[in-house]
Amino acid sequence: MGPSVALSPAKQAEQLKKDGNVCFKKDRFRAAIDAYTEAITLCPNVPVYWTNRVLCHLKRNDWTKVEEDCRKAVQLDNNSVKGHYMLGLALLQRQEYAEGVKELEKALDLGRGADPKGYMVEEIWQELARAKYMEWEHESTKRTWELQTLKEACETALEEKYILEVSQLEGFLDEVSTKHMEQLESLARVFKIAAEADTPTEVPDYLCCKITLDVFRDPVITPSGVTYERSVILNHFKEVGNFDPVTREPLEESQLVPNLAIKEAVQAFLHEHGWAYKMD
Amino acid sequence: MATFASRKIASEPPLMLILSDWTKVEEDCRKAVQLDNNSVKGHYMLGLALLQRQEYAEGVKELEKALDLGRGADPKGYMVEEIWQELARAKYMEWEHESTKRTWELQTLKEACETALEEKYILEVSQLEGFLDEVSTKHMEQLESLARVFKIAAEADTPTEVPDYLCCKITLDVFRDPVITPSGVTYERSVILNHFKEVGNFDPVTREPLEESQLVPNLAIKEAVQAFLHEHGWAYKMD
Repeated sequence: MGPSVALSPAKQAEQLKKDGNVCFKKDRFRAAIDAYTEAITLCPNVPVYWTNRVLCHLKRNDWTKVEEDCRKAVQLDNNSVKGHYMLGLALLQRQEYAEGVKELEKALDLGRGADPKGYMVEEIWQELARAKYMEWEHESTKRTWELQTLKEACETALEEKYILEVSQLEGFLDEVSTKHMEQLESLARVFKIAAEADTPTEVPDYLCCKITLDVFRDPVITPSGVTYERSVILNHFKEVGNFDPVTREPLEESQLVPNLAIKEAVQAFLHEHGWAYKMD
Repeated sequence: MATFASRKIASEPPLMLILSDWTKVEEDCRKAVQLDNNSVKGHYMLGLALLQRQEYAEGVKELEKALDLGRGADPKGYMVEEIWQELARAKYMEWEHESTKRTWELQTLKEACETALEEKYILEVSQLEGFLDEVSTKHMEQLESLARVFKIAAEADTPTEVPDYLCCKITLDVFRDPVITPSGVTYERSVILNHFKEVGNFDPVTREPLEESQLVPNLAIKEAVQAFLHEHGWAYKMD
C-alpha cells in the first residue's frame, strides 16, 4: 500500500488521501490520520487533506486538533465550508460562543452559495441555532443572577429603612406599612420588566408558520396574504396538492413571494430574545 | 327629538364646535346612536366628546366603531381618513396620559431605592476600617446597575424609532395598510397606488412592471404593526 517511488509527490499524496479515505470508511481513524498526515507532509497546501484529517479528529473527539487543522484549512482556502463549520463547532466546544457563531454563519453563507438545498446547509443551520441558543443561555444566566442580586439588595435596603421609620413613628403605622408594601410590589414589577427579554414566553403568532407553529426561517407570502414557511408549503404542494392551505385557492410555486419584511422582523426578534433559538 | 339630534350632528362641521358645546354634543350623540347604532357621524362625534373630557378608553372605542362603520360604507371617503387621524391622535393622547403617570412612578421608586442604598452604604462605610475603595466601587456599580434596570423598565414608554420593517420605504411612516409586491418589498397601499398614478406602473425599488392587481395585503406585517403600537403608544404620533 506504500507509495511508488516513481510517482510525483502530488500523485503520491493523492494516493495517500485515497488510502486515508478507505481507512476512515472502515472506522480505522488512527490509520486514516497517519495517511492524511503523510499526504500533508508531501503537499502541505492542499486544503482537503487537512479537512479530511479534521473529520478523523472529530470522530476521536480531539477538539484541540480539530481547531488546529481547521485553522490551517481555512488559511489555505477561505471558502472551505467544512473548514469554517468544524472550526465553529470546535470553538463552541470550548465555549467561545461569539467566535463559534461567526464561523458557523460564514459556513452557512458559503454553503448556501454553493448548494442551498444540500444536506450540509440544513446541518449547519441546526448547529447555528443551537449555538445561538447556548450563547443566549450563557449570557442570560449571568444577567438573571445579577438582576436577582440587585433586586435583593434594594429590597433589603428598603426593608431596613422601613424598619427604622416604623421604630421612630408614633401612629400612622398602617399608612407607612401600606406604602412599604406597595413599594416592594412596584419594585418586583420593575425587575420583572427588566427580566422580560430573557424570559422565555411565546414567539408572536405573526412570526410563526401557521402550519408548523415554528418561527419563520424563510417566510413566503401567497396571493391570499397568508405567510408560510417556504419548505413547508413546498412540501404541502408535493404531499397534498397545489392550493393555498388556508383559502384552498389554486396555488403554484411561482406565485410564492419572499416576505422580506417578516424575515427582518424575525431577525430582530431573535436578536432580542435568544431563547427563541431553541429548536424542539 | 331624534331627527333633530341627527340633523344637528349632520349639519355641524366638527371644527366649528366650541368648548362649551361638548356636553350638548355628547348628549345629542348618545341619543343619535341609540336610534341608529350604525351612525358613523354619531359614534365619531361621541368619541370626540368623550376625549374632550379625557375619557380616553371610551372615546377610542367610539372612534373605532365609527371607523369600522365608515370603512364598510365608503372605504376611500374623506370621513374614513378624518376618523383615522382623530383615532391616532386619541391613541397617542391615551398613551401620553398613562405613560406620564408610569414615568413619574418609576422615577419615584428609583429615587427611593437610590436613597435607601445610599444610606446603607454610608452606614457601612462608617463602620469600616479599610477596604473603602472596594465598598465604594461596589456601591457605584450597584447604582449603575440600578440605573440600567430602570432604563429597561422605562423602555416601552421611551419614544425611539419604529423598526424599519414596520415602515413604508417611501414615506418612512408606520404601515397602516401594507401591501407586498412580487419583488418581496412591502409598501403602504395608498402610497404605491399614488406612485402608479403619478409616476407609472412599476415597482419603485426593482423597477419591474407592476399592476394594482398584483398587490397582496401583508397580513403578518399588519399584525406586527398592531402589536408594536399596542406596546409603544408613542408611535401613534402623526407628524
